[in-house]
Amino acid sequence: MKFNLTVNGRTAVVEAEPLEPLSTVLRDRLGLRGLKEGCCEGECGACTVLLDGAPVHACLTPGFQAEGRDITTIEGLGDGPGLLSGIQRAFVEVGAVQCGYCTPGMVMAAEGLLRANPDPDDAEIRHALAGNICRCTGYDSIVRAIATEAASRNRVSA
Amino acid sequence: MNMLTVARPRSLDAISALMSDGRPLHFIAGGTDMLIAGRLRPKDGILVDLGQVAELSGISVVGQHIRIGAATTVARLAEDPVLAARLPALSQAAAECGAVQIRNRATIGGNIAEAAPAADLLPPLWVADARLEIRDHDGSRLVAIADYIASPGRLITAILLPDPDPAPKSGFAKLGSRRELTISKLNLAMLMRQEGGRIVDLRIVAGAIGPRPQRLKLAEAALGGRFLSPKALQLFAKALSDEVDTAIPTRSSRVWKRRAIVGLGYDVIAAMTGHSPRHPLFAGAA
Ligand SMILES: Cc1cc2nc3c(=O)[nH]c(=O)nc-3n(C[C@H](O)[C@H](O)[C@H](O)COP(=O)(O)OP(=O)(O)OC[C@H]3O[C@@H](n4cnc5c(N)ncnc54)[C@H](O)[C@@H]3O)c2cc1C
Ligand code: FES
Ligand code: FES
Repeated sequence: MKFNLTVNGRTAVVEAEPLEPLSTVLRDRLGLRGLKEGCCEGECGACTVLLDGAPVHACLTPGFQAEGRDITTIEGLGDGPGLLSGIQRAFVEVGAVQCGYCTPGMVMAAEGLLRANPDPDDAEIRHALAGNICRCTGYDSIVRAIATEAASRNRVSA
Repeated sequence: MNMLTVARPRSLDAISALMSDGRPLHFIAGGTDMLIAGRLRPKDGILVDLGQVAELSGISVVGQHIRIGAATTVARLAEDPVLAARLPALSQAAAECGAVQIRNRATIGGNIAEAAPAADLLPPLWVADARLEIRDHDGSRLVAIADYIASPGRLITAILLPDPDPAPKSGFAKLGSRRELTISKLNLAMLMRQEGGRIVDLRIVAGAIGPRPQRLKLAEAALGGRFLSPKALQLFAKALSDEVDTAIPTRSSRVWKRRAIVGLGYDVIAAMTGHSPRHPLFAGAA
């Protein structure tokens, strides 16, 4: 079937199978390889993208259902071509990236959280990341990166 | 050639029209159950997306009822203030359903139709005596949630909750190996009123001790009509364990579930009555 997707502000025409997951559509048909497919069962969170600003698993979302909605992937976060966004810089600076496989999903889950709750405490951060698995970092540095970014956004807006 | 085509209807009437088309219909709401890797997926017929139908989404108070559109997401349920005031058991179950990515997509209708043994929204809907508005090619009707059987082409359009005044107390608790992600291995919902301190109209339903939710009548009888006291709670605890023994006599999980259910029961009662679970009332736990 054919449908239109608006990804990171640009619209593309896609041809895909009816139940083809959005993760496969984005990676294999649109070449957006930032998001990862880890489990394809909703358990690992590596495929997290924002749909109208809210985090969802791209592996459990049929591509066609994203038609008419705003999809944001990790590629769409940067402050300009080749530039990182604040939340990405925080991950790098705090050392919250090791192998990096979970990172795009973690960053998107974090971005979704900060849009819904600009001033989360540590428990709220951990709760929001409950659907994202990291085998490397032990999570502490990830929580710190998100808290750092939240504080810096709040300084800017204050 | 047989193949799967997609329909994105915008109204219930448009879905009804599809129902008389003659081809098999497969409904899809959030897709969190249907898209799981390795699951059998429909190969022919019409895949009907429920996501574009405004009548299927949202929570409203209609006369003596709360009406929940079947395609309302679990995230919406979790944050709805009306539900939190009138049926907290359902709000709590929604808030603990999967991780945020799941809650943003999963729907209440999908949870009911999928009918997993441990589906978290079912025990709260059972204790509240929810009725389902069903539509198929024979027309539409209401069925009690306990009598609902999923069947191809049978659409749940809404969930109706009785809305008595004053609202009863209710609560929900669950256990799973990774609490936020895994479907519960045991869950429990309770609903009750208190009259001069006495517990009345008590209803208790557990999930994951059988293929469908189970009403725990022994436990209801143990506590119903009584004041909260250590003695009443001990009888209640014993009845809960007995219920598990009867429900799953030969399962190895019986050994831990007969103890765990007491903890869940005490947690729910403590939350409903505004006590800490560490209150001396609950000291005689199994
Ligand atoms: C990682 C993960 C964690 C999960 N955690 C939990 C949890 O903690 N607790 C829990 O209870 N569940 C959990 N689930 C299960 C799932 O998310 C729920 O069952 C969800 O509510 C299903 O809704 P859906 O809209 O995504 O269903 P879909 O996948 O769209 O549909 C599921 C089935 O229901 C049918 N259907 C959907 N809507 C209707 C309707 N209105 N009328 C008739 N049939 C319909 C479909 O045809 C299909 O057969 C989890 C799932 C995953 C992948
Ligand atoms: S790939 Fe989607 S959650 Fe693991
Ligand atoms: S950095 Fe390796 S999985 Fe998270």
